[in-house]
Amino acid sequence: MSEEIKTTPLGRLAAALGRFFAYAAMGIFSLMTIYPIFWLVMNSFKTTREFQVSQLGWPKEPTLKNYAQAWEMGEFGKLFPNSIIYTAGATAGIILLALLAGFAFAKLKSRATRPMYGSFVIGILLTTNTLLIPLFLEMNLLGIYNTRFAVLLVYIGSGLPTAIYLCTEYIKSIPSALVESARIDGAGFLRIFWKIILPMAVPVATTVAILNITSIWNEFALINILVSKTELKSLPLGMFKFSGSLSTDYGKQFAALTIGMTPMLVFYVVFRKQITKGVAAGAVKG
Amino acid sequence: MKRAVLCLMMALAAFSLFAQEKVTLNVFNYQQADQAGYQEDVAIWEKFQKDNPDITLNMEVLFNEPYHQKLQAYAAAGTLPDVFYVWPGARSAVIHEKKLAKDLAKLLGADYLKDFTGAATNPNNQLGRYLAMLPQSFTYTSVMYVNKKLLKDNGFAVPTTYADLKKMVPKLKAKGIGVVMLPNKDEWPMQSCLFSTVVGRMAGDKFIDEVLAGKAKFTDKPFVDALRVIDNLYKDGIIAREENQSGYGEGPGLFAQGKAAIYIDGDWRTGAYITDKASGKALISPAAQASDFALVPFVSIPGEKNPGVLSAVAGTGWAVNGALPAGSAKERAAVRLMKYLYSDEVQAIRYSTGAYVPTRKGVKANVEPLPASLPGFYAANPKTCYVLDGVLDPAVYNVINAGLKAIGLGTATPAQVAADTQKAFEAWKAAQKK
Repeated sequence: MSEEIKTTPLGRLAAALGRFFAYAAMGIFSLMTIYPIFWLVMNSFKTTREFQVSQLGWPKEPTLKNYAQAWEMGEFGKLFPNSIIYTAGATAGIILLALLAGFAFAKLKSRATRPMYGSFVIGILLTTNTLLIPLFLEMNLLGIYNTRFAVLLVYIGSGLPTAIYLCTEYIKSIPSALVESARIDGAGFLRIFWKIILPMAVPVATTVAILNITSIWNEFALINILVSKTELKSLPLGMFKFSGSLSTDYGKQFAALTIGMTPMLVFYVVFRKQITKGVAAGAVKG
Repeated sequence: MKRAVLCLMMALAAFSLFAQEKVTLNVFNYQQADQAGYQEDVAIWEKFQKDNPDITLNMEVLFNEPYHQKLQAYAAAGTLPDVFYVWPGARSAVIHEKKLAKDLAKLLGADYLKDFTGAATNPNNQLGRYLAMLPQSFTYTSVMYVNKKLLKDNGFAVPTTYADLKKMVPKLKAKGIGVVMLPNKDEWPMQSCLFSTVVGRMAGDKFIDEVLAGKAKFTDKPFVDALRVIDNLYKDGIIAREENQSGYGEGPGLFAQGKAAIYIDGDWRTGAYITDKASGKALISPAAQASDFALVPFVSIPGEKNPGVLSAVAGTGWAVNGALPAGSAKERAAVRLMKYLYSDEVQAIRYSTGAYVPTRKGVKANVEPLPASLPGFYAANPKTCYVLDGVLDPAVYNVINAGLKAIGLGTATPAQVAADTQKAFEAWKAAQKK
């Protein structure tokens, strides 16, 4: 029936119109996403004075000075490695611990399973702001304030609730018969985890990685509270130096924001296929 | 051999004495990298470090809300830095109310403080009613930046009355020039830079004190009349309704291009027009600043009770941790740092970058005409009134801010905004009692 409609002139016109509106809508949304980025990058090549008199035009005398000065003033050379350490370290920790916990909650039934699972998952409801001062006091009491260890510990802790929820729900969908057969064959739980669960849980691990890489890379509130030494700070703290509502040096501000934004754009461009697959897999099975 | 051992012991003793004298000061600095004068500010700290090798500065830098969050956390944990940046009012309430900073009147002494203006050293200008911090500046939040040349070219003089402004509308509007520019997309500029002054003129600080004490209401005539003044500014075309779609950052560039005859902002905005050290360019050249522009108070308003008052507030400054032991090496180092930060030398640099006009008396600096005219502006306009966001809680002044924008857009009446404000105030008051 639908094939018949498409072959008639009116049907073809309707289909073409449908495509036109669909592409137009998507085009508008794409423009709304891309234009602010384009505007930011374009203005990062203007001097502040040029920006103040022309905010929409092309730079008349493009300058790279903003980038050099922003890099130096924001101390990005120190902050970039920290961001990489925190993002990679915490993401790896979250994935490993969440998969282990997910395996236990999904496949090892005991009376403690439900309350323990609930105690982790309830963390999803906690907002970061409510934790700031308690965490600061705790880190001071433990004597680990101003250390990379404290940052990694808090990032892993704050990422685990969502990750455990996703991993548990995903691993539940793996047939229990596989685990039971392996047990009959004499495999221990750790071996079952490494040989069976881990290879099958790659899609959800990818989802967890994507969620955490972006959130940890951009995280500001927690690290602001957990460290005071510049040597331990991450990129968002450096970028924040340039984002005041009373700012007057727009050129450097835009250059700093572009520097901070670029790694995530590159990450998306390089891994866009995996990201799309990972999100879809996590969404369907999770 | 014995002599060598003796020499070694003496050297060790001398070294340990020297080592004991070296002090580390934890400083929590409020600094923004994209603000004019950043590089000069960095140089100020480097110079102190270079000139004081016996003091090691361990500095943490933040600004805006994260600064306040962190200061709150430090205060809660009892780990405040030795020297830190503070607001005189509610913004740093925990420091004032819990008396977590040393009394600078005692620490720095009357002889030192006599070189500062009375407003800066008056403890009653601070929330805790003691000198927890020393304001570096006294900020006028409401200044009219007037393009004299543009007015003259169109046959107008610098306005002094509301009627003068109204008279300009037809001619300037026909040429596509605004009379008064006050970008208010961000909502706070109208309240902070104009409405506070209008409330001061129409109602006065006493009225606000009475409202806070529950003896008057925001719905009373003086406050509604003040809102009506803002409403009329839009209705009479003196401020275009489109100003509510302009961001705060856009104002100086547009004003310098002659898009409006008058621009209303705080005195700190003089810094936006002066020569940018990095590019060597100025939004308004020093020559034009001197000949074509002027800073004047907001015009007189029909029905005003307190003519000439302008909204002003004590500025920010430095405080010393109250927990530092009296007479300790740390306290001495903190005092040395404080005296350096408030010295003629440092204050002159801050003045020359357009950061503020210092409260320290007699500071001379090579500044461009617009910031140079500020001391004269202050002297000519000594009567000040509250800045509403300095005396009201955010739960209340945010409603005023949003209401002023709604009036500007023509979607709310003065009476409605007054009622909303009173409602928010009562809700806030009730929450305080719980």
